[in-house]
Amino acid sequence: MNFIGQVARWFLDGAHWQGDGGIPHRLTEHVAMSGASLLVAAAIALPIGVVLGHFGRGGNLAINISNVGRAIPSFALLVIAVELVGIGAVPAFVALVALGIPPIVTNSYIGMREVDADVREAARGMGMRSRMVLWRVELPIALPFIMAGLRTSAVNIVATATLAALVAWGGLGRFIVDGLGQQNYPMLYAGAILVGLLSLIVEFSLAGLQRLATPAGLRTSKIIRDPDSKTATNLAAA
Amino acid sequence: MRLKRIYVLGASMVALALITTACGSTGGPASTKATITIASFNFSESIILAHIYGDALKNKGYTINYKDKLGNREIVEPALESGQIDLYAGYAATDLTFVEGKQGVTPDAGTDGQANVQKLNAHLNSKGIKALDPSPAVDQNAFAVTKAEADQNHLTKLSDVSSVASNWTLGGPPECPTRPFCQPGLAQTYGLHFKAFKSLDAGGPLTYAAFKSGAINIGLVFSSDGGISANDLVVLDDDKHLQQADNIVPLIRSSVANTEVTSLLNSVDAKLNTKDLTALNKSADVDKQDPTDLAATWVKNHGF
Repeated sequence: MNFIGQVARWFLDGAHWQGDGGIPHRLTEHVAMSGASLLVAAAIALPIGVVLGHFGRGGNLAINISNVGRAIPSFALLVIAVELVGIGAVPAFVALVALGIPPIVTNSYIGMREVDADVREAARGMGMRSRMVLWRVELPIALPFIMAGLRTSAVNIVATATLAALVAWGGLGRFIVDGLGQQNYPMLYAGAILVGLLSLIVEFSLAGLQRLATPAGLRTSKIIRDPDSKTATNLAAA
Repeated sequence: MRLKRIYVLGASMVALALITTACGSTGGPASTKATITIASFNFSESIILAHIYGDALKNKGYTINYKDKLGNREIVEPALESGQIDLYAGYAATDLTFVEGKQGVTPDAGTDGQANVQKLNAHLNSKGIKALDPSPAVDQNAFAVTKAEADQNHLTKLSDVSSVASNWTLGGPPECPTRPFCQPGLAQTYGLHFKAFKSLDAGGPLTYAAFKSGAINIGLVFSSDGGISANDLVVLDDDKHLQQADNIVPLIRSSVANTEVTSLLNSVDAKLNTKDLTALNKSADVDKQDPTDLAATWVKNHGF
């Protein structure tokens, strides 16, 4: 109870809500870094997953490469990036983009492959060209899967952006790393709570978006979860 | 085939016998000088120092066993107490704090190396261990600036920084803003109040990267770190004695510390200085040279 009180008091201290080291500034840094990383990761990963899924070729390779990407620890990438480009926002950005790509590639590829072959045939039978099949049939049907990939990616990025504090960047991880260094545990836990809350907010708001993105005809009571990497491997192997 | 094996076996036996007798004959008439086991911590400065002591002793006819990279102080110091090793290159303040911590005494390491060594002896002599004379070479917390900045603002010591501090960013480990040796100490002892603080590491790669990118103007380093010269940094003199004195000091078992050994190690220590040590560390850590070769060269150049 005493400790929870200390954490609460940390949040209530006005000094922690202003300046470069304050919660609003750190939160802004964290959200901006995460948002930019997700956008760039999506810009790279979505075309790859969607195009490969549409043509049904090279998916095996793409998913395997992207699974290897999942296996590389973000912290290792971060440290390598610091060696290459120095400290600051860039190494964190590079590591987070790399972290964000695999789930988006895998999910969008699987989403495209999951489109019922009969539906695709029917669309062609109605005289749709390949591009029209992609935009009007496959993408809308695959959208829940694609959104699930983006959601997984976003939550991973928001949670992992904390590590950037270990290589001298800001964000909410600053509270955790500095709290540990200064043995200021209320600050450490406050940082952890803030990151946890932010991850939950991202998770729920993207889940809502995913629901909205699902075509009315496909809506079920359940939201499609992220088909995990195991399923992806099985599908790729099949 | 079998015959061949027998020949090989026979040949090896003969060879073994020759080697054994050869060893015996060199060992036999030699003096009764002791065998000394020297350990080092798991970083190159410690290995270099162990081999500097070892090579100098070997040249006086002692037989040396090395236990390189034995581990951290939690492993090396108890090994000395139990007699598994005879000697290691310690650090006056750090070893004092460690020994006092183990004995449940309030740590009282100070800014005077000689005093720290006296206190070490007070704690260790009863355990059959002696701390010899502290070397002028120190590996302790220090503050560095880039050479360009030092030249431009004519900075040689920490008290010179007061004219520029208000525009400067200080870099250090995350605990710097709360530790007496870091930001609070700079404010209290030197009256330095910096514009900002950047949370990095304790004299590690982040600090050097921050200097390189210009993210900090002054940063915490270890005074003998090889990266200092490799990154064109200069250490500012701690002219008001903020830092605890971590002079290099040999910790040795009294049973092997006869007059010859003691005076030899003391004169080796007297010749060591922080500048040489920094250069040796740079050769080992940055240029990846073999620490034992570096030690051998140093011993030869200084006539031990």
